[in-house]
Amino acid sequence: MNTNREQSKYDLRHYTFIALVVSLLLAASGIMSYKLYILNYPLAGLIPSISYQVDVNIDTTGHGDDISVQTYLPRSDSRQFISEEGNSSGLFNLSIENRPLNRIARWSAENIQGLQKIRYSYSVEAKHIRYEIPDEMAIPHSYPEDLQEYLQETQGIQVNDPLIEETLDKLFPGGPLTILNAVTTIHRHLQDQFPNRKFSGFTDAITALKLGEASCNGKSRLFVALVRKLGIPARLVGGLILKSGSKRTSHQWVEVYIAGHWVPFDTINDHFASIPANFLTLYYGDLVLFKHTSNINFTYSFNTLKRLVPQREALDAIDHSGFNIFNLYTIFEQVGISQNLLKIILMIPIGALVVVVFRNVIGVETFGTFLPALIAAAARETGLLWGLVGFVMIILVSSLVRKVLDWLQLLHSPKMAIMLSTVVIVMMTMTVLSVHFNLFELAHVTLFPIAVLAITAERFAIIEAEQGTRKAFRITLTTLIVISACYAVMDSLFLQSLFLAFPEMLLVVIALNLWLGKWIGMRATEFFRFRKLIFARD
Amino acid sequence: MLSRLIKRLMEIRENARNVLSMNKRNLSYIYPSNHRQHFPVADNKLLTKALLKESNVTMPRTLATYDSFYELNSLADDLARHGDFVIKPARGSGGGGIIVFIDRQQSHWITPGGKRFTLDDIKKHITDIIFGIYSFGLNDVAIIEQRITQHPGITRLSPYGLADLRLITYRHHPILCMARIPTVASDGKANLHQGAVGLGIDMDTGITRHAILQEKDITHHPDTGKPLLEQQIPYWSRVIEMSHTAAGRAPLKYLGIDISISDNGPVLLEINVRPGLQIQNANQLGMRGLLEAVREEENRT
Repeated sequence: MNTNREQSKYDLRHYTFIALVVSLLLAASGIMSYKLYILNYPLAGLIPSISYQVDVNIDTTGHGDDISVQTYLPRSDSRQFISEEGNSSGLFNLSIENRPLNRIARWSAENIQGLQKIRYSYSVEAKHIRYEIPDEMAIPHSYPEDLQEYLQETQGIQVNDPLIEETLDKLFPGGPLTILNAVTTIHRHLQDQFPNRKFSGFTDAITALKLGEASCNGKSRLFVALVRKLGIPARLVGGLILKSGSKRTSHQWVEVYIAGHWVPFDTINDHFASIPANFLTLYYGDLVLFKHTSNINFTYSFNTLKRLVPQREALDAIDHSGFNIFNLYTIFEQVGISQNLLKIILMIPIGALVVVVFRNVIGVETFGTFLPALIAAAARETGLLWGLVGFVMIILVSSLVRKVLDWLQLLHSPKMAIMLSTVVIVMMTMTVLSVHFNLFELAHVTLFPIAVLAITAERFAIIEAEQGTRKAFRITLTTLIVISACYAVMDSLFLQSLFLAFPEMLLVVIALNLWLGKWIGMRATEFFRFRKLIFARD
Repeated sequence: MLSRLIKRLMEIRENARNVLSMNKRNLSYIYPSNHRQHFPVADNKLLTKALLKESNVTMPRTLATYDSFYELNSLADDLARHGDFVIKPARGSGGGGIIVFIDRQQSHWITPGGKRFTLDDIKKHITDIIFGIYSFGLNDVAIIEQRITQHPGITRLSPYGLADLRLITYRHHPILCMARIPTVASDGKANLHQGAVGLGIDMDTGITRHAILQEKDITHHPDTGKPLLEQQIPYWSRVIEMSHTAAGRAPLKYLGIDISISDNGPVLLEINVRPGLQIQNANQLGMRGLLEAVREEENRT
């Protein structure tokens, strides 16, 4: 009788479980197909694009005088998209002036004493563009008034110097036939006959011509001088070649006005009528990137971080597509939760699923059930390596402190409160030290979940005391492995885009967890633990 | 060749199926058999004693309990009559907070390791127990109880500390047993993780049949070199009887029961709601078949 009742209780539970899993899967696929087939969501938008985060770091050392620093900031246009701009300049006031061609940032401050740091950051998404120049197009005889300045001689671009004319006579014995012929010949001549020189100083067109070699600015000025002499408008462009890492060198290239378009040329890297996706345009004209008052020590650097991000167009399309009830993100934006933050929040359940697989299917021990997922989420800002380093350092220092507290024999709650304070202090110290040593990624450890770390340090110390140091470090190692796995999965652009577009996928995650919650199979490590029983021969 | 490989794979699959894994233990045995509201009976040794009072189950006699500080005023009087006793937290786990005293010399009490405790040292330890230092921050009760003197037959196997027998019971039936033998490496503790020997025991006869030390199979004690296998556990039928009664009285249907053998017979030390799986390696025997046999047996009647 008793067994009967237990049996029917079991059946009820079993069928509820099946019904729950099925309805979750149905709900998720229902909402997804509605979005795909009725609202026409763009699936192609799930492929990520490349974004660069650029930090402009300027260090100035003053001696009690007023200081002013000036540079050019990039602008969004049809090729490059600038976003997430941020300024952190301490005592300096920033003013930004928008000129027709350029955007000028000026930082100024009074009575500056000692080292002051200015940091300006922005994100760049840019496209590769390639122009086709029509074969038969002749060089126009005249240009409108507003293009006249691009035909003039300037200080570094000596259009009317006899040497320029002489060079053109050599290159075009019978005069250039078409625009295509003109730019092809000049481009090839400068690219093939003029060796590249790494020289950061100013080189004018004639010097470059005489030396027969030049850096980017010398070649570009010579290119512009030759093209202008032929009666074609041309200008210099200044910018950056974006590559992960830190550098001081900026780059210059050329744009020639052809058939209503400014067409790019680079005779250092051989880009003919094309510009790659990692070129960032900062300013137009023969200008100097940085200007500052002369009474200071001045250094600068560009720190660039390459990232994959969801396609902007796809996100816009998701934002603007139809029914408000599906348009969650505007609601979050109203209360100041950015899509970036939302992306991290949406990825945490995936991280948790990874942890579940590691614990219940593979069978490794980790500190805390969800600690690895939370650390992986926080490590987005520090990068995986520095995230792991920060994690290990916090745990080690805090568990050392715990040892002392344990020896003092304190009660649990006050002891944990002290551990929490310790974690905060360790984090702040690490941040200050890492800024001091220019490890800006590590500085973001302050985003780590403090309470979870305090509990983890406590667990570490307990395991070390009860089961030995080796065991504690072994669990630390497996925790690091699981953090890395969580990071790899949570950092997947495909999954991020998928979950941003279809947050209902979380129902699928719940269904998977339900299934794993009833999974009674042997964990992978148990095959090893019970190997003598399992692989025994009769 | 291929048929032999397939045969071997089938054999492995069959063996694996007979091993109780962690997921299976939790889902099929612990969760359905042990309800959370009954956990205190196992977690609190005083409740375990109350549950098994007036049965054929012997537990160490409680000499005194302390759950508040003013009760400590009587400690000197309480201890006056005792030279050897054990202090333990009612809700401790993994042996934490347990101190054994074997003798008294004037104003000092001596541990097996030769450490000397004054009355104030003992008071301090009891205060720690009451404060919950050994029981995850919960307030706790300190128990002073009778010390068990180990049966000479067991001491021959286990000269470095009190050995215990761990029995797994399912629905009142003891199904598997191992002895845990402290070693020098385990610092006198009967804990397999810390280096104690796990000794599988034949359920029908009470004769030891397999031994493991950490990951290795062994046949002799790592410190004394004496044989561990083919040894008879004394009072075996009473061990089985006792675990049967304890499992029958407890509202928990899947249990680990820890019993030591004293001069006067088996003494139950504690019961455990989440018994480990290493007992299978100690016996070189998977226990899933044994558990399923019990279930089928009960369903038939």
